[in-house]
Amino acid sequence: MMAARGSGRRGAGPGASRGPDPQEEPPPPLQAVLVADSFNRRFFPVSKDRPRVLLPLANVAMIDYTLEFLTATGVEETFVFCCWKSAEIKEHLHKSKWCRRTSPNTVRIVTSDLYRSLGDVLRDVDAKSLVRSDFLLVSGDVVSNINVSVALEEHRMRRKLEKNVSVMTMIFKESSPGHRARCQEDDVILAMDSTTNRILHYQRTQGLKHFSFPMSLFQSNIETVEVRHDLLDCHISICSPQVAELFTDNFDYQTRDDFVRGLLVNEEVLGNQIHMHVTAEEYGACVSNLLMYEAVCSDIIRRWVYPITPEMNFTDDETKSCTHAKHNIYRGAEVSLGHGSVLDENVLVGQGTVIGSKCSIANSVIGQHCKIGDEVTLDGAFLWNGVHVADHVEIRQSIVCDEAEVKEWVKLSPHCVLTSQVVVGPNITLPEGTVISLHPPDEEEDDEDEFSDDSGVNKEENKVKLKGYNKAQVGSEGRGYLWKADDENEVDEEEQRQSLWGPLLKPEEESETESDLSLGSEQPDSRAASPQLDDIKVFQNEVLGTLQRGEEENISCDNLVLEINSLKYAYNIGLKEVMQVLSKVVLEFPLQQLNAELDPQRYCGMLIPLLKNWTPVFKNYIKRASDHLDALSAIEEFFLEHDGLRTSIAKVLMTFYQREILAEETILCWFSQRNASDKGRQLRKNQQLQKFIQWLEEAEEESSEGDQE
Amino acid sequence: MEFQAVVMAAGGGSRMMDLTSSIPKPLLPVGNKPLIWYPLNLLERVGFEEVIVVTTKDVQKLLNLDTKMKLDIVCIPDDADMGTADSLRHIHQKIKTDVLVLSCDLITDVALHEVVDLFRAYDATLSMLMKKAHEPTEVAPGQKGKKKPVEQRDFIGVDDTGKRLLFMANEADLDEELVIKRSLLQKHPRMHIRTGLADAHLYCLKKYVVDFLVENRSFTSIRSELIPYLVRKQFSSPASFQGQGDREQDPKSLDIYRFLKDDSFLESASAKPCWNDHRGDLNEALHGGKVRCYVHIMKEGLCYRVNTLGLYIEANRQVPKLLPVLCPEELLVHVSAQVTDKGLVGSDSIIGSSTQIGEKTSIKHSVIGTSCSIKDKVKITNCVIMNSVTVEEGCSLQNSLLCHNAMIEKGADIKDCLIGSGQRLEPKCK
Repeated sequence: MMAARGSGRRGAGPGASRGPDPQEEPPPPLQAVLVADSFNRRFFPVSKDRPRVLLPLANVAMIDYTLEFLTATGVEETFVFCCWKSAEIKEHLHKSKWCRRTSPNTVRIVTSDLYRSLGDVLRDVDAKSLVRSDFLLVSGDVVSNINVSVALEEHRMRRKLEKNVSVMTMIFKESSPGHRARCQEDDVILAMDSTTNRILHYQRTQGLKHFSFPMSLFQSNIETVEVRHDLLDCHISICSPQVAELFTDNFDYQTRDDFVRGLLVNEEVLGNQIHMHVTAEEYGACVSNLLMYEAVCSDIIRRWVYPITPEMNFTDDETKSCTHAKHNIYRGAEVSLGHGSVLDENVLVGQGTVIGSKCSIANSVIGQHCKIGDEVTLDGAFLWNGVHVADHVEIRQSIVCDEAEVKEWVKLSPHCVLTSQVVVGPNITLPEGTVISLHPPDEEEDDEDEFSDDSGVNKEENKVKLKGYNKAQVGSEGRGYLWKADDENEVDEEEQRQSLWGPLLKPEEESETESDLSLGSEQPDSRAASPQLDDIKVFQNEVLGTLQRGEEENISCDNLVLEINSLKYAYNIGLKEVMQVLSKVVLEFPLQQLNAELDPQRYCGMLIPLLKNWTPVFKNYIKRASDHLDALSAIEEFFLEHDGLRTSIAKVLMTFYQREILAEETILCWFSQRNASDKGRQLRKNQQLQKFIQWLEEAEEESSEGDQE
Repeated sequence: MEFQAVVMAAGGGSRMMDLTSSIPKPLLPVGNKPLIWYPLNLLERVGFEEVIVVTTKDVQKLLNLDTKMKLDIVCIPDDADMGTADSLRHIHQKIKTDVLVLSCDLITDVALHEVVDLFRAYDATLSMLMKKAHEPTEVAPGQKGKKKPVEQRDFIGVDDTGKRLLFMANEADLDEELVIKRSLLQKHPRMHIRTGLADAHLYCLKKYVVDFLVENRSFTSIRSELIPYLVRKQFSSPASFQGQGDREQDPKSLDIYRFLKDDSFLESASAKPCWNDHRGDLNEALHGGKVRCYVHIMKEGLCYRVNTLGLYIEANRQVPKLLPVLCPEELLVHVSAQVTDKGLVGSDSIIGSSTQIGEKTSIKHSVIGTSCSIKDKVKITNCVIMNSVTVEEGCSLQNSLLCHNAMIEKGADIKDCLIGSGQRLEPKCK
């Protein structure tokens, strides 16, 4: 039965698989916008030879999967937007069944070299008013068998009930964390209103350990906010024409992420909402990097995307027909398999491929017209068309592009990539993650303009001009340049460039590190450092700088006060904080010269002249009794922090007293403070300090006695 | 004996000082029963025979309950400011099994087994009761004009089944955002964060949690410290073994994991090669983790925590519905009460013993204490009247609260008022 459905989709009569029958007013024919460019370099250097959407996925170009999905789900008109290598895409499409007259889905190709992002494409959609009604927005690397009609119906209903409030419905597939199609790069976390399916918060995880959700999410009248981390973004969205308009209105929207974020943040202002649709049974994924390439390819072979399976040959291309046998072995026409060779499971062999004897092949895709020698081991290998693999080769979890050649006794470790026409070997083992291309890495710059502007080009790497092929890297008969994919010296400010293959999925989060533990477990509020504190920090540094200059250049105290005042306003610091910072900075000042050793004698020797110099500065700030106390508490704090210097506290206070910065009453008041901490009490037990205090007390008595007389 | 029940009745009722200044909170009359009667009754109904009551000396002196259970009353020193966790630590020597901790101010008709079953079924460390936060329907008397302080909301994260408690945070502890750990979401990718829930302060705790409390003295409150700690600990790994040595010297870093009894059966199971740890799907064997917190969220039924004046009044309004269920043998209008015009007493009112009610006096939605004397032609609506109150002729009382021994003289017209104990209102006053 399922097969019948599948073939029905392929045939000329797609009516059966089109959405629900129109009831009152037939909705306008469904349109789709297919963006056949990723506007990034994730597939470089593979996509240097061929645009990403034409890369073969189980021997069929990616864009064909996307178009098949669109057609099957009832799209009648598709706009394909091309930029990079648009001519090739155009040619491919013209030859395909999509441009035949019988195609239920009319494909219109729009090309422009000016597109730099999804935003540009949608702005163009708006400018040309291509869409009449709600449309599907997909990228050209989506593989899916989702029937969007349910989601579409929900979307239309929402738009009918609340006019033009919901502008977009994003489609997600349920898949638990740890699923192989969940690659970290695209991982998202969502907060939604479970009753209405409205998206409240959308965030890429980006390897973060903690996720923050703004409190505003919970303010409104939503009783239950659901946080979901079990969703895979299919990169399929149902958009209203408003989406294109919104892109026009906001020129800073470049990607769909920008758009979603912008809309969610401004929800209250603009009143636009985004909803979601979750499918559990169907398949949907976006081939955004090589990890996903591997995952999706394996899924196709394992028939998760049914009815899109290799033997269906939905592209109607004679050369791509193949037969399906048990253990998911697919064989094209004219495949010859040598004596003693075993196709273990999940293998697709394209037309005209010759495999030698005693080979062991599992979980692999082999393109058309490949030649594979004897005693070859392939596991998780993706060989494209016309690949030559000599005898005794071992390839694991790697991609070998068109017409590449792997010589005898070569071993490819996991995550290697050989791009078109590269030759490696013989007798070489490529380490994990090796990328070899015929294009030297420094060629990048030349065609940068053609491609995309946001991917950084690493100059350092480019300085290494490779004149010839490095035989050590590609083997004595090899041809190709090594691309450094995962070197550490590459520091890109925009984004740390991930390896070509993409970050690996860690199936199980390793146990929390100690720091994480302490952070999360004991004191949840301790990490809540207010931004103001940071300001104070900066202010403190600035004050330190000012004083240093003052010391070096002998700036007058009046000017120092002026500078500190202006800093105070610049960072919006209160008078109290100024006092504390100032005391702290001055007290710490000699520490710079003292290095680590804390010798109270030397410390005092250096500090006291400084204090004398800066007396006017202190006097300017310390006026009221409370100021005195603040300064004293800052002094106390300093000496608590620097145990070794404790003995000098008396001297420091004495200086402050003598310079008439601090009054004796306040010092006494501070000394007898009740609420002092334990440490503070200990500090007060310091002998010298007690003597000093005693002396002060006596002096006071004397003076008061003197007054009485 | 599977559980030992502990009723915490040492709280001062700081949020309803108007009332608790004269009567300790556990003894506040609700439906003519002291507040503490309700949790005790709840325990008695499900068959508990012994209950430990932690309270103060004042309360012990006045406590006079008729219950079949054996009450083990433990007094904590009056001056010590002890939190609930402190109290539990105080009585730890009496605790031999898992405990059921209740607060004395809980009035509910919940089927207690729901909470306990969660505890049993999942071998939980903690199971607790929550309910939809209650919206006060009417203004509390005496609070007119006063702006009600906005209660700090709790954020409660539960899993898809709505049973496992994954996350807990109070608005007060958060700045601008709610932070959720990734490791949690990896194990429970769907989390429902609910805000409209209130904790009923009913907890089932494993014995080892009490042991943990004894060792770890930094906890003072069960609700605000211990429970959040346990909830967090669910998703953090046990402290590594290398650190064990240091840890023993430092009592502050005591970890709950040290108190977990290792289950030898589980150990052997995980050592077996066919042990299925459910990689890929999320249904972890044995519910995942060693510390597990569960919550039962009441969907219907009554559940009140009497900790504010508003809730006190509300509880008094609701108990007439509840009491016939809790103790069917008692009538709402006490036998010894003398009511002249029975017809004028609404069926939703309670009248205590030896109270006299005069002619043509109508009473609706009200609770009237014992030994009151209500004279003729009085109208009482929506009121709570405590014991030995005298209301003279022709008064009209609405939406008010009259404490013990209050006197209302003739013709007074009172609306939305709180009359303190022993107060006397002049005639005709309004």
